[in-house]
Amino acid sequence: MAKEKVIPVHMIPDVGSEVIEVGNERFLQTNEAMFTFYKRTKGEHSPYFLALKEQKTILGGRCPECKIVRVPPFELYCPECDFAELELIKMPDTGVLNSTPPITYFAHSLLQHQVPFGRGRVFLKGADTALPIHVYTTKGVLTPRIFKKGTPVKVVFRDKRVGKPTDIFAVPVSELKAAQRKKRGLLESELDWTSAKTPKVPKPTKKAKENLSVVMDQLQDLGREAAKSTRAQNNLAGWKRTIQVKTGGGPFVIQIARKRLKFQEGTVKKADFVMAVKDPGLFQNWMNFKDSLTNAIIAEKLWISKNTEFTTVFKLDRIPRSVRRSKS
Amino acid sequence: MREVAVVGAGITECKGRWVERTYYGLSQMAVKAALEDACISVKDVDAVVYGIYNDIFELSAIPEHPLQGIIGMANKPGLRVTTGGATGAYAMLTGYSLVASGLYDVVMCLGVEKATDCFDFTSQTSTPEVIKTIGWSGDTFYERELGWTASDSYAEVVLAYMDEYPEDLKDEVSAQITEILCNNAQNNPYAQRHGEQVTAEMAMNSRYHVYPFKLLETCVYTEGAGVVIFASKDKAKAICRNAGVPPIWITGLGASNEHHVAGKDLRHKLMHRIMSDNISARAAYKMAGIKDPIKEIQVVELHDAFIKQLQITMAEMGFTELGRSDDLINEGLMTPGGPILVNPSGGLTYGGHFVGGSNMFSCWSARRELIQRGMHRALIHGTGSTVAQYGCVMIIERGS
Repeated sequence: MAKEKVIPVHMIPDVGSEVIEVGNERFLQTNEAMFTFYKRTKGEHSPYFLALKEQKTILGGRCPECKIVRVPPFELYCPECDFAELELIKMPDTGVLNSTPPITYFAHSLLQHQVPFGRGRVFLKGADTALPIHVYTTKGVLTPRIFKKGTPVKVVFRDKRVGKPTDIFAVPVSELKAAQRKKRGLLESELDWTSAKTPKVPKPTKKAKENLSVVMDQLQDLGREAAKSTRAQNNLAGWKRTIQVKTGGGPFVIQIARKRLKFQEGTVKKADFVMAVKDPGLFQNWMNFKDSLTNAIIAEKLWISKNTEFTTVFKLDRIPRSVRRSKS
Repeated sequence: MREVAVVGAGITECKGRWVERTYYGLSQMAVKAALEDACISVKDVDAVVYGIYNDIFELSAIPEHPLQGIIGMANKPGLRVTTGGATGAYAMLTGYSLVASGLYDVVMCLGVEKATDCFDFTSQTSTPEVIKTIGWSGDTFYERELGWTASDSYAEVVLAYMDEYPEDLKDEVSAQITEILCNNAQNNPYAQRHGEQVTAEMAMNSRYHVYPFKLLETCVYTEGAGVVIFASKDKAKAICRNAGVPPIWITGLGASNEHHVAGKDLRHKLMHRIMSDNISARAAYKMAGIKDPIKEIQVVELHDAFIKQLQITMAEMGFTELGRSDDLINEGLMTPGGPILVNPSGGLTYGGHFVGGSNMFSCWSARRELIQRGMHRALIHGTGSTVAQYGCVMIIERGS
């Protein structure tokens, strides 16, 4: 198996160039990159990261003068006390969230495969600064209702640790068994990660089928309009997906290929991912700007089988607006 | 210190992508526009301050060096300022200082950014790579690898504020502010979203990218450039007499950078506050002699990276109380006909956000309002870095 690279190989473009026409003029653009490799010292931060990696322990820095405890120990001296030298101390692995953490659904290009993720700050017991840390739930898609200010959390250690901030993450204490709560150096492999199961949608009634039929007509109109919209075509450029959608009115398929968007009732043998929703009317709301697919997932009205396909969901969410803007 | 006035300003069209121009060309366009506005020659300019936020956007570690000769400033002093989102505001603070100190008489502040050349070949779009590029701005030891972004760091502040004031920042209010800013942008021919109609309902229903930020309530990525020219009192009077416009005096300035680590008191970052805005505004008010900002300031050009942050910043700057930022709409503080004209340019959300020059864009707009509408006083604000760490406020007043 190939070793992981510091730059993911799939992200590296080929050498090349292209001509863009604006009005009657031609403009050139070339594929380039700005890259530098490092053997970056962790210097005074080394004890903290080595303790994570080697001892499954979190260190803090305590000022001998004012007694403030900083976690992580991000500085050598206390600037509040004439730069008194801090002493390293072992910290407990439980605490509370400083505030409600943001959840990223649209990440930057290195982390798109990890969405959704939350980045919180935890006041470990006895600490005066909050530790930046990923927050996870073991119970499915991360939604805003799970973590709040003051939520008790426990720090969990990755099985494979390299001495980075991502060696640890926090989960709600409420999701842990008593023994897990007590254990110091709890590992991710000791958690119960509930696997995603497709939610059941009701069997289609005659009325529900009729509703879906109306929705399908509108979706197919949208597909035709998108084919005429340069903006929509740009949204879909270079993307190919087959999505099986299960609804209370019956199944349908969304296909993205060659800058086109097609909707068709029925099923396919092989889909890239699955969406499930009780009410197909959600797609009418989507087309009419009353809801977005992203927000429907966050509100737990729409379910998707792969978190990594948020990228596709974002592309779909752009289409109604792009079509509208092309018309105006 | 000497008195300093804004005597000219110029901006380029704000575009999501300028295929037709590099940042060299954009800089020349903005400089040309500002010099024409002030009716002076570049030979009359003594020094230049560059506001360029991010080396990676420009694909150069000293991105300002090729601009010196291109903009006609060869053999004169030039320095670059870079302070995250607040780059433009800090560049203007520096330009002001160079004139106020007596070192130079006429100083040009050029802000430029070429952001969306960054391209993610995997998704075949620019945005993820632009976000990644900005992502190198977070704490690179403890936060970058956790997925730190500008959005999620400002979201931290907004969510913490919502923890403290759960009845404030209602989505309906943020959506109405969004509609107002979109409407304002229609009066700005250079605005990126000129010609676009976004209603409060569309804003309400737009998708989240980082909870609680919605797409239509988030600043755009812009490519463009803006220039503001500062002059000392005597020079300003002469230039403005010749140009037939009033000098716009800089009467207040304040700046503050907070700690970047969250803590329990002001020795570190209080996550539910934007103390950088509070401290910088209070300092600027003191310098300008302002006691009651809502009665004494008519125009605010505020760095609205996110609409809910705009609301918090307005409260931190004293236009309403903390916990009552919804009064901006509910009490009509910034609705059409209200006491404060907020972001007549459309702001960074609907006007444009070319990071290094966004605050020059705001200054250009505020000055335009003072001159064209005959208003007396305006406030220009910049915010930047992680968790709204940096703040900078400038007060300008119309002279006669």
